[in-house]
Amino acid sequence: MTTSIIEETIDPQILEMLTARSAEISNGASTSSALTAALALGSIPVALAALSRDVYAQGALPAAIKNVLDFALALEIFENEFYKAVLGMSAVAAVNTAFAPVRALAAAVPGAVASLQQIQKHEAAHVATLLATGATNVFNLTATSFDFTGNRSAQGGGPFAEATTNLAFLLQVAQGAEDVGVRAYKGQVANLMPSPTILEAALRIHSVEARHASRIRRMRRAAAGAPIGVRWSGTVRGGERAAAGGTTLGTVNPTVVGQTFDRIYGAGAGSPSESNIIQAGVNVSALASASFGADAAQEAFDEPLDRADVIAIVQPFFIPTIS
Amino acid sequence: MANGHGVFFTRGDQLLQSTSRRSFLQVMGLGGVIVLMPTVFAACGDDGDGITDPIDEPYTLDLSTDVGILNYAYALEQLEAAYYTIALTSAGFAALSADEKEVLSDLQKHEVIHREFLKQVLGTAAIPTINFNTTTVGTLTANRSVLLSTSQLLEDTGVSAYNSAGKYLTSATNLLVAGKIVSVEARHAAAIRDIRDGANGRLFAGDDVVNAAGLDVKAEAETVLASVVSLNVVTSPLAIGTPANQSRRTPDQTAPAPT
Repeated sequence: MTTSIIEETIDPQILEMLTARSAEISNGASTSSALTAALALGSIPVALAALSRDVYAQGALPAAIKNVLDFALALEIFENEFYKAVLGMSAVAAVNTAFAPVRALAAAVPGAVASLQQIQKHEAAHVATLLATGATNVFNLTATSFDFTGNRSAQGGGPFAEATTNLAFLLQVAQGAEDVGVRAYKGQVANLMPSPTILEAALRIHSVEARHASRIRRMRRAAAGAPIGVRWSGTVRGGERAAAGGTTLGTVNPTVVGQTFDRIYGAGAGSPSESNIIQAGVNVSALASASFGADAAQEAFDEPLDRADVIAIVQPFFIPTIS
Repeated sequence: MANGHGVFFTRGDQLLQSTSRRSFLQVMGLGGVIVLMPTVFAACGDDGDGITDPIDEPYTLDLSTDVGILNYAYALEQLEAAYYTIALTSAGFAALSADEKEVLSDLQKHEVIHREFLKQVLGTAAIPTINFNTTTVGTLTANRSVLLSTSQLLEDTGVSAYNSAGKYLTSATNLLVAGKIVSVEARHAAAIRDIRDGANGRLFAGDDVVNAAGLDVKAEAETVLASVVSLNVVTSPLAIGTPANQSRRTPDQTAPAPT
């Protein structure tokens, strides 16, 4: 993606506003540190995002908005570090070593590593974009802050340990991470309504996570013996662990693994299970001209999840306590 | 296809060609003129003068209201549903593998569900059923390649439309509804792209739709509607009567012509 393509599709009026503001900034006008960071980053799309926010929302971010961005940042750092570990790109040598077996298995599947690289690239970009938009790393997360086995310990050994050696298990975990990310963003968008440009950025991240989730689901369906409930369309059928599709529970602690997927795809305190078929009071499995039954109705809509429910799911992977 | 200040389309599938599409988008960005030749509309407007009137009221969208924005979404879902429903009996579909047919079949169900759901939610405020040029849809489903590239364009366009429209909604309830749909459209887009990608492994969320900031496509309604109308499949005079709140407008990152 080159800047010329972006500039060609910018509404001239907006470009004028952004250019004028940019000129003001270089002439010494005060600006948010986030914007300065974005410009220093040298990434024009990131700078545009920050400039847009600066143009539309002068002054400090409202706390409610910042809280959402901080939460999103924590999840994106988690995802980024996870994929870096899988790809052997982590700053933590031991975790790169731990994931070497499954990395070799992935390398034998055409396109698999490329997909994981593309996903990681996006998660890293999301971290940068959220920071540029005003999020701060309030939990002080670094590469050493995570235990991808789900035991909150640098020693690992948790219920998800087999993700390092079993490709099917790894992909199931990755799918769960992407799907919980989609649910988390969806659960927060209403909180971003006071800032239309930030809301839009969040929606544009949310749809990327859904693309990721779809691709991983298709990778899982491509494996021999995969159940048809894992749709080639990348959509989510059913609820609770069944919605994960062909769930492998592992041998370390199958109970906890099962419960985790029950939560990822189940009801939250303020949100329905992914198996939900009532949308805005309408039973979408039995509409007059669209009576396709429960499966299609479940697949056609994704569900949100509240912050507290998301945190309950992901906390075991974070060594520090997040909230 | 750019000609001075205007871009001329005589065939909907020209929009699938990157050169003409790019000219189209450049002219849109410059506030230029888009001329849709008479062949683009197969039917005439209601006033009997033989000329299609783009402001025939029942199909006019008021994007300054949530109802208008949901009608805009309903229009797009009508398009997708109509396309996939015809696609299921097309030569292009017959040429798909069993796994690929599963994708298109799922997409058809989901889009029809979206359409009927929005129709029900809108009730008496819903725009009428949009009429489609089945001949042109036929050309866009005639073989596996055009079926998949058109499907990709429709899904990416849907994602771009919802991603942009969300910021204009005033009700959190409506925003959540849009949010529940857009992630499914993104799953669809990724699946179609992945089919077309073979074993390369990146197109599902390719650099042509996800930018360096990790952000997916978004496009304002004017851009989306002009793109849709130029596919030459819509014969009803769909148009924007009142635009969305311009103070919230943001730069577009449009769904690209599939390559």
